[in-house]
Amino acid sequence: MHSGGTEGRESWRDSWEAAREGTVAVVDCRQEIPCNPCEEACPTGAIRVGPDICAVPRFDPRACNGCGRCVALCPGMAVFLLDRREDDGFARVTLPYEMGRRPVEGEEVQVVDGEGKALTGGKILKVRAVGGKAPTLLVTVKVPEEAALKVRGLRYRLIERDAFREADEVPSFSGYPICRCEDVSMERVKDILQAGLRSLTALRRASRVGLGYCPGMFCQSSLREELARAAGRGEKEVGAFKVRPPVRPVKLGLLGGENA
Amino acid sequence: MPEVMSSEVVVIGGGVIGAAVAYYLCREGAEVMIVEEDDLASGASGACDGFVSLQTKTPGPHLRLAMGGAQFFHELAEDLEVDIEYRGCGGLLLATTQEQMKELRARAKTLKAEGLEVEVLTASDLKELLPEVGKEVKGGSYCPQDAQVNPISLTLGLARKAQEMGATILRGCKVENIVVTNNRVREIHTTEGNIHSRRVVCAAGVGSNQIGKMIIVDVPVLPQRGQILVTESSEPVLKTLVAGAEYLGTKANIEGLLPADAEAAKLGLGFTAEQTAAGNLLLGSTREFVGFDDQTTPEAMNAIARNALRYLPWVKDLDVIRSFAGLRPCSPDGLPILGTIKGIRGFYLATGHSGDGICLAPITGKLISELVLDGETSLDIAPFSLYRFK
Repeated sequence: MHSGGTEGRESWRDSWEAAREGTVAVVDCRQEIPCNPCEEACPTGAIRVGPDICAVPRFDPRACNGCGRCVALCPGMAVFLLDRREDDGFARVTLPYEMGRRPVEGEEVQVVDGEGKALTGGKILKVRAVGGKAPTLLVTVKVPEEAALKVRGLRYRLIERDAFREADEVPSFSGYPICRCEDVSMERVKDILQAGLRSLTALRRASRVGLGYCPGMFCQSSLREELARAAGRGEKEVGAFKVRPPVRPVKLGLLGGENA
Repeated sequence: MPEVMSSEVVVIGGGVIGAAVAYYLCREGAEVMIVEEDDLASGASGACDGFVSLQTKTPGPHLRLAMGGAQFFHELAEDLEVDIEYRGCGGLLLATTQEQMKELRARAKTLKAEGLEVEVLTASDLKELLPEVGKEVKGGSYCPQDAQVNPISLTLGLARKAQEMGATILRGCKVENIVVTNNRVREIHTTEGNIHSRRVVCAAGVGSNQIGKMIIVDVPVLPQRGQILVTESSEPVLKTLVAGAEYLGTKANIEGLLPADAEAAKLGLGFTAEQTAAGNLLLGSTREFVGFDDQTTPEAMNAIARNALRYLPWVKDLDVIRSFAGLRPCSPDGLPILGTIKGIRGFYLATGHSGDGICLAPITGKLISELVLDGETSLDIAPFSLYRFK
């Protein structure tokens, strides 16, 4: 079913090698969720999710042309570009950037890892917009090779200093659908929480969050935080969604033994 | 929270029955406190389908109770702020053998004599309501008065409205003891403190037996597990409620309608299908006595899916996204237990609905509220007395 390539995050080794020859994608996708824009974005078929939409993508660096469309389209910001051609102890990493301030070529920035911890300094080499009406900025930074695979974002020291003022100006995200499957906004969740709910399962009954296709894989942790805060309880006390089979969607015909 | 609370009436249980009792009590101006061990609709009311099915009720007092309650759903749909997704969609009961067909025909006659609208349909008559059915389906009976509702919204809606009218809801509050002195209920001891109250309604569902023990009364309610599959949301594909005759057979213990397959009989398997307002199909169900185990099991999930394919083969292409199971408070004869207790004033039972809780919640709430406040009911509840079992 799948042609060449290695599954999901395991493909980084191949990408690392291939990056010596040219720009290639690094896929750091670990979420087994119904999601495949990367597959559709790829013009060369290097990224494949296949018929099981919940599978993590397989990636074949040899087929990759380094165009970066997958980087722009991945909603989880889990794909990057890597280029090690110059062999000067530095790598060029291209990251998606969706913050307010447009980075400027030549700027010195801090690069951070997946947890937001500062790794080292880097220099912005290139900024380009990819995608149609709502393009994503792809920012290429030059960083020491040893940090190249850990880089997940960048930040400005200057902005960090004025962080409090900046935070006040950030528009509210409460209208954002926290449960994408059932399209429930954070605003609605907060509204419902005022009734004094005590557990995640109670919240699920009252709001439909977590009742959709992904059984709460996306939203559960954010909801738990919000609920614990609203109820004044510990995150452990508010519990979890009850896990019931099937863990992933399964065709009823298959469950009923048809063609099984 | 004050150390000693008090309330005119305490309702034990925040399920659909407790919420309905509280709602109708509040409408009469009573002071009500709902005491709920976990959270609203955390038991059977939050783990069931939304059948408001009249034609599956046992002819006699049971059917009259259900028919008396049907009108309240219209009222509630208007009065509650929560959308309870009530739909007067009608219900089909499908037969897969000529014997079942015969049984349904005879039953339709009895139901009609009681004033229910029921129509017997041949396989070709079915087409209008249900374009595609399995080859085995021989026909069925149709009741236009059957309806559906969202059971969780109904419970939450009733509770919220009761709260607006002044009811207090104590969540995470477990009843530990009920104090009776001079043959009268006086006080409820809970994990959140003591509550002075001279009137207590037990709407504790499968917990009712435990509550009964506190006043040394045996309330014969056993948990009966019902498992249900949930499919992905789809376009409107089901106009009506659909059930198999075996569902009725298992539910009402009718000899001629029990499943032929031994495995199915053991699970208490009976086909049910409804499409919720959100578009998901709920496919059921089982009736198993397994204590308080509310897990779903692979055997039952396979059996439910296989059974569903017999009646509605086209569901094969839908994704099953979840399963759930609820514990129905089952009484020995499958009818609710409503009314007072001999020798103890101020204690009322509203339990044992045996899988009819959603359908019977509004009428139960109305009648129990009358019983608590006036001492008499507008519809005779003597057939549902605890003492019918003795």
